[in-house]
Amino acid sequence: MRTSKDLYTLIILCCSSLCAFSQSDSSRTLKGVEVKAVHLETLTSRAAMPVTVINRKTLDMMGSRRLDEVMREQTGIAIVNDISAGSRAIGMQLQGFSADYILILIDGQPMIGRNAGNFDLSRITVSDIERIEIVKGASSSLFGSEALGGVVNIITRQHIDAAQGQAIVRYGSQNTQDFTLEGETPFAAKSRTGKIVAADNATIADYNGTLNLSGNFYHTDGYNVNSFLSKGATAPPYDSYSLQGRLRYKLNAKNSLNIAGRWALRNSINESVYSSSQVINTTRDVLHESDVNGAMVWQANLNKGWQLKTQYYLTRYSTTQDVSTGKSTQLNTNDFTQYYHRFEEQVQYVVSNQLSFAGGVGGNLEVMDGNDLKSEYAYLQGDWKVNKQFSTRLGFRYDHADFYGGRLNPSAGLKYSLSKKILLTAAVGTGYKTPDFQKRYQVFTNPQAGYTVLGVEEVATQLAAMQAAGLISEVRPVAKDISAALKPEMAVSYNVGVSYAPVQNIRIDVNGFYNQLHNFINTVQIATRTNFQPVYSYINLDRSFTGGIEAGVSTHVLKGLDMSFGYQLLYAKDRGIMDSIRAGAYPYNKIRNNNTGETRASKVSDYIGLENRSRHMLNLRVFYEYAPWGISATFRANYKSRSGYDDANNNRFLDTYDTFIDAYCLVYASIEKKLCKGHLAVQITADNLMNYTDMLMPGQPGRILMAGLKWRLFKQ
Amino acid sequence: MYKRAQWQWLAAILLLTMACKKDDNNVTKLNYEDGVSTVIYDLAGDTEASVADGVEGKEKRPFRSFYFKLSAKLQSWDSSDAFKQSSNWDLAFTDIYNALVYVNNGSGEGPGKGGAGKGLIIAVDSAYSKVTTAPEEEAFETENLRFAGWDGYPQPYNTGWYFYSLNTHLAVPIKNRTFIIRTADGKYGKLELINVYQGNPPAVTDLFWPAPYFTFRYFVQQDGSHNLKTP
Repeated sequence: MRTSKDLYTLIILCCSSLCAFSQSDSSRTLKGVEVKAVHLETLTSRAAMPVTVINRKTLDMMGSRRLDEVMREQTGIAIVNDISAGSRAIGMQLQGFSADYILILIDGQPMIGRNAGNFDLSRITVSDIERIEIVKGASSSLFGSEALGGVVNIITRQHIDAAQGQAIVRYGSQNTQDFTLEGETPFAAKSRTGKIVAADNATIADYNGTLNLSGNFYHTDGYNVNSFLSKGATAPPYDSYSLQGRLRYKLNAKNSLNIAGRWALRNSINESVYSSSQVINTTRDVLHESDVNGAMVWQANLNKGWQLKTQYYLTRYSTTQDVSTGKSTQLNTNDFTQYYHRFEEQVQYVVSNQLSFAGGVGGNLEVMDGNDLKSEYAYLQGDWKVNKQFSTRLGFRYDHADFYGGRLNPSAGLKYSLSKKILLTAAVGTGYKTPDFQKRYQVFTNPQAGYTVLGVEEVATQLAAMQAAGLISEVRPVAKDISAALKPEMAVSYNVGVSYAPVQNIRIDVNGFYNQLHNFINTVQIATRTNFQPVYSYINLDRSFTGGIEAGVSTHVLKGLDMSFGYQLLYAKDRGIMDSIRAGAYPYNKIRNNNTGETRASKVSDYIGLENRSRHMLNLRVFYEYAPWGISATFRANYKSRSGYDDANNNRFLDTYDTFIDAYCLVYASIEKKLCKGHLAVQITADNLMNYTDMLMPGQPGRILMAGLKWRLFKQ
Repeated sequence: MYKRAQWQWLAAILLLTMACKKDDNNVTKLNYEDGVSTVIYDLAGDTEASVADGVEGKEKRPFRSFYFKLSAKLQSWDSSDAFKQSSNWDLAFTDIYNALVYVNNGSGEGPGKGGAGKGLIIAVDSAYSKVTTAPEEEAFETENLRFAGWDGYPQPYNTGWYFYSLNTHLAVPIKNRTFIIRTADGKYGKLELINVYQGNPPAVTDLFWPAPYFTFRYFVQQDGSHNLKTP
């Protein structure tokens, strides 16, 4: 059988490959030709707004191990700790939008499992990522309108045309270990040799099927930036295991099948010891989480430009987290299991080179600890190249949730080439996010601070029960307004850009963006407990906005040398706070100078903006590759201006007398040398080379030096 | 032109690298010792209590109050009426996280009710060392806060020494706020409540940072005068 023979070939290659094995071949990177039958679920083909793409080569050269490491180096992105949700709550912020509003996709399907809205990207290894796409703003409506702030799409390895394997071993600071084993092969050749000769005399693969398998193990001891800890880490230590597989098979000329699966497991034990003046306290934080994703796609190419895609996706996320003190007192537990099923039917119709349509209908079923939430959706997108200069994209998505009814979200994008050098773009889109389970059903009392949070559906019964038990001293008038009719949050995003290429190989991009968030769900105090502590629930209150400018310059002036520069200017503010300051409402009406103790009336101009957002972000990257020597190197620097950490003068808004995270700059470098005709590579990477740390950024590790060995096995 | 662009890039890189120096980790440990005042570090409150109900494996109960005698630097957990009505304490650390601090006053509502305590407390928005005199009796009585806890809570006029941040859900002490007190036996003094978290960190970065561990300093004028000068 052909299949097994190819697998044998792969296994033999894996076992017996030596440097001497290789023969001369000029290509040093993995060649790839897409199995034509399968259309990729890419953002590039689905978003009205500009898409940032990070490709495999960039990832390889950077030498990053986990997804959070890659993302924190991107313009306009920050990885921030959510202090109020515990030391493990860390999420990605995009254009000033917090992690709640950023959708993380794997091959176009949503990933789940969040900690108070935060998706910890360090769950994901970059080892089998082929490319990462980032769309900012509420525009990628076809992938899910709940992505008010943006979408990150992780595309796993797709291009397979020859049997090859790869083993990567990395070791470095903080006992960091990263092992990857990857193998892939095409199978079931159409012709006897498995190759056909294309028109330009190059041989390309022609197989009916491809298979890719990869496994990764990662360990870190974590990193501590808190000098008050004598033991333990502020970026927790963990072990992570992941396995990933993908099978594609062309059933016949028109039908193909694609099956993909991913399984990941993470265990982490973080024992923190606080010691000061003979007082010793131990906190033990244990986390187990697992993650399963499975997708099955059947694609049928019908006649005359019609294509039909039927897909089923299932993901399960389960976590148990326990925080206890040395006296075995439990401080916090966070255990849940979440299932998400999606079934979707998609139709694509290519009318002509100028006009194409894509549409689909689907249903989601989300099950979490006995509660289930059904939703349905439909979308339609049209792409029209009006002429050589002008193209447009128009999309609609309709979402319907069991409880919240339906909503239509449009998005539109325009591109106009003013000249060969100047391209103008404009996009607008809306997004919509229904309140999650927590906001509807949770009943939670924080054991540390003592406040209680009630989901809107629980308010009436729980408050009555607490009152009956004599736990409530005061119920506020606003409690009557809390109803199950919590409205979904809604965002409108605008983006206008110009791309200018003054000379060949130099490009300047400038984009202005503005995102407005309506019906923002905020906590509100509805009652006071007899112990003086507040009882909170949720209400649609303030309107926030984020707006600014993103600019980039990329140059490719010398062969092998790529240099780029990125900048983001960001204003992120809460209009509710601005209104309160204007109206002179307590406690927003005053501003206390903490250096002198003096208090004066506040002005709107005293308000700096939302916490944890830097006004200026800058990055600089130099990537260099000298092919004759097989040497490549990168140098990257990331600057973020100061950002607010927390209120320090009790007026509930960020002003100049509050606590700030200082401006900082992180430097990264890497160097790689390929040996043995590309079969072997040695890489040294330095993350945070200058070892900059700040206690107020618990999740940002100091200097991590790593040495890695990559062994690639491929037929010449 | 390309050559020049390269040099510009190189210069930019060099500048950036030099700008990225190592930080002092944002931790500045202040020195509170002035040679005259008493500084108490990490005085443990009721660290076993929980305010939550329904948390598995933990019994919920209110925080036990403790009492502190300034002159003797003595902490007492005796909550008998006889003790509370005595002059053997000046400050009572009560309620949630023991952070609601009462003075020992026999006439008003509070732990010292019905006793002989003459305690008063007022707030001054000024640095500790800059508070040099206690006000006259009359002003002291009218400005009396009775207790200092959560600033602006339960009412905006309740001046306190810390507040809860709704952003991080942590207690944040208010800097440069000094309390002028009268002790149980009628002596004048000043008090700075510095922190409720272990080790007195400049900012708390962990929701589970051990608490309550009190850091505070005080000075009591033993000659009975209103002079509160400290270096």
